[in-house]
Amino acid sequence: MAASQALLENEPLVDAKLVKQWLFWGIIWTMIFPLVGVVVSIKFNYPDWLGQTSWLTWGRIRPMHVNGVIFGAFSTTFFGLVFYMVPKLTGIRMVGEKMGYWCLWLWNIGIVLGSYSLMAGYQKGIEAGDYALWADVPLIIAFIVLTYMVIATIVQRKEKLLYVSLYYVAGAMVWTAINFPLGNILLPYWVPGVNNAALHGLYIHYIVGLWITPAGLALIYFFLPLACKNPLYSHKLSLVGFWSIALFYPFVGIHHYLYSPIPNWTQTIAIVTSMMLIIPVWTVTQNFFGTMMGNWRSLQESFVAKFCIMGSIFYFLGCFQGSTEALRGMQQLTHFTDFVISHSHLTIFGTFVVWTMAGQYYVWPRVTGHALWSKSLATWHFWLIAVSFSVMAGVLTLMGLLQGTMWMDSVEFVDTVVAMKPYWFIRTLSGVGMDIGIFLFMVNMFMTAVAPSPLPETEREKAFVPAAAD
Amino acid sequence: MQNKRIDTFIMFMAIVFMGAAVFIMGLLPWLGRAHAMTVVTMDGKVVQAQPYTPLEARGRKVYIREGCWYCHSQYVRPVTGEDRRWGPVSQEGEYAYDVPHMFGTRRIGPDLTREGGRVHDDWHYAHHFNPRMVVPDSIMPQFPWLYKGVDANGKPIPTDDAVALVAYIQKLGTNLGPWRKNFLYISAGSSIPTIPADIEGGIQAGRKVFERRCIGCHGDTGNGKGAAAVFLTTQPRVFTDGIFKLRSTPSGSIPTDADLYRTITMGVRGTAMPNWHELTEEDRWFVIQYIKTFSERFKDETPGDVIVIPPEPPNTPEAVARGKIVYDQMKCAECHGVDGKGDGPSAPTLRDNWGNPIAPRNFTHGGTDMKSGPAPQDMYKAFSTGLDGTPMPSYADFLNPDQRWDLVHYVMSFGPPDTYLILTQQEAGDAYGH
Repeated sequence: MAASQALLENEPLVDAKLVKQWLFWGIIWTMIFPLVGVVVSIKFNYPDWLGQTSWLTWGRIRPMHVNGVIFGAFSTTFFGLVFYMVPKLTGIRMVGEKMGYWCLWLWNIGIVLGSYSLMAGYQKGIEAGDYALWADVPLIIAFIVLTYMVIATIVQRKEKLLYVSLYYVAGAMVWTAINFPLGNILLPYWVPGVNNAALHGLYIHYIVGLWITPAGLALIYFFLPLACKNPLYSHKLSLVGFWSIALFYPFVGIHHYLYSPIPNWTQTIAIVTSMMLIIPVWTVTQNFFGTMMGNWRSLQESFVAKFCIMGSIFYFLGCFQGSTEALRGMQQLTHFTDFVISHSHLTIFGTFVVWTMAGQYYVWPRVTGHALWSKSLATWHFWLIAVSFSVMAGVLTLMGLLQGTMWMDSVEFVDTVVAMKPYWFIRTLSGVGMDIGIFLFMVNMFMTAVAPSPLPETEREKAFVPAAAD
Repeated sequence: MQNKRIDTFIMFMAIVFMGAAVFIMGLLPWLGRAHAMTVVTMDGKVVQAQPYTPLEARGRKVYIREGCWYCHSQYVRPVTGEDRRWGPVSQEGEYAYDVPHMFGTRRIGPDLTREGGRVHDDWHYAHHFNPRMVVPDSIMPQFPWLYKGVDANGKPIPTDDAVALVAYIQKLGTNLGPWRKNFLYISAGSSIPTIPADIEGGIQAGRKVFERRCIGCHGDTGNGKGAAAVFLTTQPRVFTDGIFKLRSTPSGSIPTDADLYRTITMGVRGTAMPNWHELTEEDRWFVIQYIKTFSERFKDETPGDVIVIPPEPPNTPEAVARGKIVYDQMKCAECHGVDGKGDGPSAPTLRDNWGNPIAPRNFTHGGTDMKSGPAPQDMYKAFSTGLDGTPMPSYADFLNPDQRWDLVHYVMSFGPPDTYLILTQQEAGDAYGH
């Protein structure tokens, strides 16, 4: 272990053990909760499968999948990467590092209790905030402590320049530290009628738009330049992205309920701001591809770059789809269909979970001190995700357009369900493909941790590549 | 960005933008006007939304717990023909008591905004026990944990949670008042049968419709003993006997195709027979051809002459008073009770032709609960034809048309006035051909 010990000493800013523990649980949740999604999807074709037990009924494990991917798979991994990224970018160790260990256990307890509360029938009926309130308590406490740690570290930083990733991390933490408690404590119990729906629309979109999106963007802005060993294409452009997200994203939530009895003018504002999100999406994408310019070869060598770029392509597609989906004309056709589900998978999985995988491929070898165990497993992981997920996104989009058209054409409802059955089967197969990919990823990561082949000199930590002076 | 305090600026602006959005999008519409508690009914009346009873509130908790709302949305949009599929477009006041809201974001199953009153509770109990009993193609989960054991007839016994859930479902959409009386006629389509040139082909097409839609209650042989039948208080029609309640033909006659078409399209209120208005007109006509193959009567007999419904005379207090005399003379109270509650002295002893107990109609529920339909003409028709296979006889031989109309007006006086579908002379002429 001497080699790895020496390596860790080269990174005195990062508490490798803390990062490793968070990332370990990130891997576990990334394995479990997408797998729950496959179980959910099989029930579309075989509704009686696991159907006799209340704990395993579709309506109880569906929210387990949704919340588990958001708060378990994505968020746990993200925090692990934050504990690596923030010290590097601020030039100081995390403030209150020790609390990070307690937070991990609180966080995990929250995820387990939350999933239990859904299966046992204690859920509260707020989509993306379904966990019972008592399961939210540890999550909320952990989140607020984590927010304090991150913000205090940023405020006390040594590095003068505030890199764009820290913009996003700071924003994501502050927004969610407000949104998550309010959405889980006030919304389900105190706000009646259509106002509940309106505020819930905002809440859902603060989870995806003010938590997952900025958190995910923080990751790729950090890991992509490292992966391709190029400076960021333009820091100014990245700030255009940040400020336009900060300005427009808070307004878009009502687009979940167009044509509902929620006052029409708020729906219109939500549509306009949804379209304005094209600004951050296109500038961000431009920045990623600009950063790769001149070093596309790194795609061959680096799994970090591979996953960053795959995520960026899905990001571009998914978010552009999201903007168009908010238009009234488009929503007449697509709302309530699998088109919406294709959008949520393109963004949450295709983009952000894939970006956390990119971060894992960078950080995990460094914090364990071992070289990646198997490149061929990683290649299989990449291609299984790339191919299976493309099939899933494609088939869900197609289904949405088909079923939406059938509904507009007044086809009897059950007939439109029957027409979807073969496509649902393909969707399940694609999900199985993705889960095999994730399983190989998990095996690879665990083997990397336990099979000690020291990290080669060439892959050792380099100084962080600063942005181009612009 | 050399400013050292850019970090505080970012966090400050993050909170400002988010606060502005929550205020403008979430709070301003709420504060700007009184929280809407009223609903405009189909008749243009403004009524108060009604809160959930304790039972319904409990059912709502079950609805949330079982995740029903992930697949069933709860708002009808004013686009893509949703108001023809499910009922009137949703209004703000209807949701006054919803905490949390149940709008939903996906329709893996149908929207449930207007589900209340669509079918009898029995249908829901069968459907929750095993959805594929009543809808063979359904992908909805079973909910066996909402039942405990079986009763003497082999019918699973619902738990309190199951009863509450059905109470909640039956409440959905009813804040809008008796809107269904108008809706039943939506997409009824043509009353001129589309009988295929290729009769045998039509029957085969009808068989497919039957196997996918009807078999759960009526059984694959049309004997009314489908898997779900054990749940039903009003037993499914036995097609093999060729006896039908709802006809425009004299007592004892087989119905016309148009009669069957009307029943399939609108369903039968107060029973588990749903309205099949979403089926294509062609499918409805085909399945009628198939249903007719179950009984020899349709081969051997022709339907009697369609009874004539004269124009409705004015519904005056005098007419109601005359109607009361007819009600007394004809001993209607014997079954339907003096107050029209369906609790007359003979009510508990009544049996239909197949020996099943059958409850006389409770008139106090009004027009939207009438098997024959919500219009006065429908009631007139029932008096004239009788409901074959039940103890309800035809009064064609006992009452002249004026007396029948008086009786209609008296029976209408038991129920809430806004539950009856009052047709203009023109509309009545179009619908009932006089």
